[in-house]
Amino acid sequence: MSPTTAGALVLVVTLVILVSGVPVAFGIGAISVIFIVIFQGFDGLQIVAQTFYSGLDDFTLVSIPMFVMMGAAIGSSPAGKDLYEALDRWLYRLPGGLVLSNLGACAIFAALTGSSPACCAAIGKMGIPEMRRRGYPDGVATGSICAGGTLGILIPPSITFILYGIATENSIGRLFLAGVVPGIMLTGLFMIWTLITISRSGFRAYAADFRYSWKEKFNAIPKISPFIAIIVGVMYALYGGLATPSEAAGVGAALCLVLAIAIYRMWSPAEWWQILRDTTRESIMILTIIAAAVIFGYMLTSLYLTQTLAQGIADMHVNRWVLMLMINVFLLVCGFFIPPAAIILMTSPILLPIITAAGFDPVWFGVILTINMEIGLIHPPVGLNIYIVSAIAPDVPLTRVMWGTLPYVLCMMLGIVLLCIEPRIATWLPDLLMGG
Amino acid sequence: MDGFIKAVRTVSLACGFVAAFLIVLGVFIVCEMVFERSVLGTNTIWQTDFVTNCLIAATFIGSPYVLMTRGHVNVDVLPLHSGPRFRFWLALFSILLAMAFVIILAVLAYNFWYEAWSHNWRSNTVWRERLWIPYAAMPAGLILLALQYVVELICLLTGREPPFGLKPGARHGTEAGL
Repeated sequence: MSPTTAGALVLVVTLVILVSGVPVAFGIGAISVIFIVIFQGFDGLQIVAQTFYSGLDDFTLVSIPMFVMMGAAIGSSPAGKDLYEALDRWLYRLPGGLVLSNLGACAIFAALTGSSPACCAAIGKMGIPEMRRRGYPDGVATGSICAGGTLGILIPPSITFILYGIATENSIGRLFLAGVVPGIMLTGLFMIWTLITISRSGFRAYAADFRYSWKEKFNAIPKISPFIAIIVGVMYALYGGLATPSEAAGVGAALCLVLAIAIYRMWSPAEWWQILRDTTRESIMILTIIAAAVIFGYMLTSLYLTQTLAQGIADMHVNRWVLMLMINVFLLVCGFFIPPAAIILMTSPILLPIITAAGFDPVWFGVILTINMEIGLIHPPVGLNIYIVSAIAPDVPLTRVMWGTLPYVLCMMLGIVLLCIEPRIATWLPDLLMGG
Repeated sequence: MDGFIKAVRTVSLACGFVAAFLIVLGVFIVCEMVFERSVLGTNTIWQTDFVTNCLIAATFIGSPYVLMTRGHVNVDVLPLHSGPRFRFWLALFSILLAMAFVIILAVLAYNFWYEAWSHNWRSNTVWRERLWIPYAAMPAGLILLALQYVVELICLLTGREPPFGLKPGARHGTEAGL
């Protein structure tokens, strides 16, 4: 069987098996075993257990549960509420100030947790009811939280970047830095769109005579400043050469646990177990997919499928931007159905040789890929954030939430276009701080 | 049958506690390592290997708990949009395929562990640890995972649990995080 036919067969079987609802990790593991047996016989299986284990035997992967724990500790505490209230007190005079507070809180919370659903749920629980109480349109209230939540996987620390870095052997520190400016840019685009919508409808959130005193404004800061200090500390340790990503994440996780206990008095075993349970479930889910993806990658490489695909695309001699457009459409469609972790781990090793052969920067591409994954998080049918927001505001029809997210999807697409026009939006900061 | 299901679920829950403990232990060892190197200025020897092993063990040992709590993410578009009968067959296919993979991997993992044990393999790092110790987590965790899958199968076939744990009319069922 030629590699092309084998590739087509692998693609069809993978789609059929994944769509059937089998857990992604075991699904891609089973697909790998099936094709290894078909093409190499049962002897080919001898390496499978070792490959599965070695996929996890990497100290860099330690950063994943550590960052997840950091996010779980903060996500389980009322830090999101405090963050949101603090921003509201400073921004309430602006037209649409509450939406801007929510988006700003999402961006900062993203830097604390690295998780999109955690970000969406933590800020949305306070933000959506408050926006609706003050009369904001349902579409804006829900759409802005859905979109703001996605910043969790773009603004560092981002688990998406860790996975991409591991899958493509790129520096995680460089990827983190590459996400900063695009993250701020997307937050800005979301805010600009919101301001346009709000000012067009002539909406005022507060009575003209309503004022927060300076005391109230400053009183809101102390509770959140230690968490911000941890983020700054983690980033300083990372880029100051004091610690590896795993070490910085480990210290950050321990500090977040301590602060959750010290500031929010989270003493009870139930609160502790909630943090540990969330950490355990999410970390193991991701790590199992990683291990299975390593077998999947081994199977693709040993059948020469990766190399054949890369060569085939190179032989087509298409314009590199047409190629980028095709890749974006492919990722976008994948993102509609498949969870980000699985897409990144399964496609990155295949796409990387194509990207580098076409002369694109792999770090820059990591940012593009992540924004595509963000779109998938707020686009049906998977669109996890839509369902989280829908659970927070069950009386808002799902279709209205989806329509509310649409302008923000377009903002993200605009973000991708801007990154293609000016790649330095992503590469400038890592080049500046870590050298070209 | 109920006794078997309850026993396996209790073991899976215990696995969850063990995995959570291993992750917390990993966090503390990382902090100790950073303290020892940055503050005391001494070299670290065993910590990197130990933390990595802790998290690998947590992944395998904790997997039955994650399965029991439906934390292993799946693509649930088709199950969500299919009728009860087709959803049942999809769930059966999904469980059988995953279970087959887990059992095959458990057998291969046992062989891998046995080789490490019988040949007294040691790591290439400074610590020179005996590799059969960390490797043991793999077959052990996979066997427990296979048992949890047997429970999932029984619950599906006897109607104790709905297919994919989805209640009729469910709109979304995964926690496809990140």
